[in-house]
Amino acid sequence: MIKTDVIIIGGGATGCGIARDLALRGIPHCLIEKGDYAAGATGACHGLLHSGGRYAVSDPIAAKECYDENMILRRIGEKCVEPTGGLFVRLPGDSKMYRERFLRSCDDIGIPTEIMSSTKALELVPNLNPDIEEAIKVPDCSIDPFRLCMLNIKTSEIKGGFSFTRHRVTEIVQSRGRCIGVKATDAATGDVKEIHGNIIVNASGAWTNLIARLAGCDVPITLSKGSLVITNHRLTDMVINRLRPSSDGDIIVPNEAVCLAGTTSLTVQDPDKITIQPAEVDTIIGEAGRMIPHFNQTRIIRAFSGVRPLLKSQKLDSREISRGFQIIDHQNGMYSIVGGKLTTFRLMAEKMVDTIMNAFNLKRACETAERPLDGQEELSGYPLSKRLADMKNIICECELVTRKDVERTIEQTGTRHVGDIQHRTRLGMGPCQGGFCTFRALGIMHDMNILTAEQSVQSLREFLQRRFRGIRCALWGDQLREEQLVEYIYLGILAMEKNK
Amino acid sequence: MSVIEYDVIIIGAGVAGLTAGAWLSGQGLKVALVTAGEPTACLSTGCIDVCAKSDDPLQGIAHLPNDHPFHLVSSGTIRQALDDFQQIMAAMDMPYTGGLENNRRVLSAIGTFKTTCLTPVTMQASPQNGNERIHIITFAGLKDFYPGYIISRFKNASFSTYDAGVSTTMGIAANFEDDAFLEAFILWLEKQHNREDKIAVPAVLGLESAAAIIKQIEYRLERPVFEIPTIPPSMPGRRLFNGLKDHFRRKGGMIYWGWPVVGVEKTGRQIEAVMAQSQGRPNSLNARAFILATGSFVGGGLEAKRDTIVEKVFHLPVFVPGEREAWFDQDYFSMNHGIGRAGIAVDSSFRPTDCLWDNIFVCGAILAHTEALKNGCGHGFAIATGQAAAKSCLEHIQ
Repeated sequence: MIKTDVIIIGGGATGCGIARDLALRGIPHCLIEKGDYAAGATGACHGLLHSGGRYAVSDPIAAKECYDENMILRRIGEKCVEPTGGLFVRLPGDSKMYRERFLRSCDDIGIPTEIMSSTKALELVPNLNPDIEEAIKVPDCSIDPFRLCMLNIKTSEIKGGFSFTRHRVTEIVQSRGRCIGVKATDAATGDVKEIHGNIIVNASGAWTNLIARLAGCDVPITLSKGSLVITNHRLTDMVINRLRPSSDGDIIVPNEAVCLAGTTSLTVQDPDKITIQPAEVDTIIGEAGRMIPHFNQTRIIRAFSGVRPLLKSQKLDSREISRGFQIIDHQNGMYSIVGGKLTTFRLMAEKMVDTIMNAFNLKRACETAERPLDGQEELSGYPLSKRLADMKNIICECELVTRKDVERTIEQTGTRHVGDIQHRTRLGMGPCQGGFCTFRALGIMHDMNILTAEQSVQSLREFLQRRFRGIRCALWGDQLREEQLVEYIYLGILAMEKNK
Repeated sequence: MSVIEYDVIIIGAGVAGLTAGAWLSGQGLKVALVTAGEPTACLSTGCIDVCAKSDDPLQGIAHLPNDHPFHLVSSGTIRQALDDFQQIMAAMDMPYTGGLENNRRVLSAIGTFKTTCLTPVTMQASPQNGNERIHIITFAGLKDFYPGYIISRFKNASFSTYDAGVSTTMGIAANFEDDAFLEAFILWLEKQHNREDKIAVPAVLGLESAAAIIKQIEYRLERPVFEIPTIPPSMPGRRLFNGLKDHFRRKGGMIYWGWPVVGVEKTGRQIEAVMAQSQGRPNSLNARAFILATGSFVGGGLEAKRDTIVEKVFHLPVFVPGEREAWFDQDYFSMNHGIGRAGIAVDSSFRPTDCLWDNIFVCGAILAHTEALKNGCGHGFAIATGQAAAKSCLEHIQ
């Protein structure tokens, strides 16, 4: 049995942020995550570090939080934030009244804006629709949510915090009406770990109620599914927003060599049973294509969705529900933290840890806004020259990942999951979506005795099915052609059969 | 612009197009083949899949759905086409093993068995079940071959690693064409003192001379040696393509390589010419009949748009398997994806149905309702329909 002070359930941005904050305030803690870090909504979003502009009109408090956090994260996390800047573009027919309200609200909140003619905007982003009426520049950024989580958890590791990924919480241990610990099952071995602590923080996002119910609690949240598509090219160097009330497909974010566009917003019941409809993909492409016409011809390499845990509201359209966050004290030693945004994860963590410090009657101020994220020295961005030097051993040609990168990740994390390698190296994130390199990565994992040969084959099979779920709704043009080749390789050349 | 006259123009340099072209050249016709580039045959295992639905491929064909285009080819033509193929490849020193009596099994690079009909002779000794005792050779740094996958299913398998100095499939294959390299490899193998019954090697044993190379290794080690097909780039696929291509040229056929078709000239119900682009200038290739053998999506004959599918050369009507939602099943491994049925529907003479022109014939993977993966109808189907379409084309010209 492991004894600690605080148990965090959930390894998204919020959970990882709480672990970092606790570590910096010297509180022993243990984080438990059922998949990999950033496996839920954190890794299934735009990767947009909001300027606050998006919420300026509808939710000024959330907008102000976004702006302040944006400024902090650019400072402390320069290796996972790209200060692209963003444009809100107004298309012919978009309400001029909304523009006035937008500018006034940004001004009230303190979000700097710059009004630009379409000519000036096209100079900044040549792919923009030349018919736009005007654009308003705001300080949006693009952020790498996987890297963000890894860097937050790094501080916890340095300070001796525990973290267990691929562990599913199956029971909240209770004694005399209080939550005193959890039981978590290791997905790889089936072993059950019992961890005891004084406080349990439920930061499990869309899965909040599945955890809360283990302790007999209920959290009033609405689950809202948002779908996105990824293009094969970086069509813009700036974040592009539509200057209108939030709607489907109105944000495009550049990230590394690709662009992400979305989202949709549909209420769902079960976060483990979400599918993307072809109509959603068509809607996103259609709307994004109005801002950047190239979207209609560009290859879509994947579609995916995440589930937002929003505060419950009577409002029928989940777009109108506040993006603010809330900490719920269940009065039994467990707290749930829900709502919020990726952009405000650090603030959420700060407030959560403030609450914990109060409960422990300890005083130590939060330092997460001042100290740069640990582990950034090791990251040097994406130096192409370095990667090309090792061309001979490239395992993933789309993203230039070498055999050494794969071996190093396995050695450092001890992972048995090819998905973990993908999140840490970008293996399989390119146009073929792992069609070639996953076969190789799993072969290497077997070579290194991480997986048995049987496990390699089984992982490959599961990967192919998972991969297919993401690409199935975006198959036409060159992407369909590539998919037919990959299918021919696995089902034809390798004669891979369905699970026996 | 240049104008060149032929009896028949074939578009596509895959197995179907080359088969049709060689057959028509053999009948004394002046034939040219235009291709945008290398065919998908180069990506393939080189094995000739006829129909994997049953142990007896002809019986398997008989059980295919009624609308399957294999039913348009008589069993006599299928036999003749495959016999011709085996003779051609034997003459090119790349003999094939097997026959239409029954299907064979080939060990894949993940240890499963692929069902096929004819195999390159280099795969002749491929085990037929998982109990055989095999020793696998792999090459240092070869990123597309992992013996572990095979060992997961072969309890009696072991492996050792040879450093070939290079680590790509093509690089190692090129080295094997060098006698000194081959000799060093054999000496190393002899020193391994393997006791297993058979030696397995990924398919890198030479660019063109694999049959001779494997014979030499077998002679020295006194036991069967066989190649395991790899993921692309695939040497057996390239050998197949090169064999058929050289044979077609020997028969007097002309190949316009790297000439994508960009336009078509027509008069009434006849196609007069295709316009092919080369070195910046258009060329008009005139002929009395045209054979379309451009393949399916990977080959580039078909292109999926967001809501429809088009044929890229003649814009022929395409059978589209329903709305986009119906193109792919939810289950990746179902082998039942609607997209496998997409293609050009033809009549009994391999002319496209509902077509405005009388002198177009279609063969190979671009044909509708083929479902190549599901039915195991690969190069064997291309060979059979290639010869059948060529016969119809000849009748038309005469």
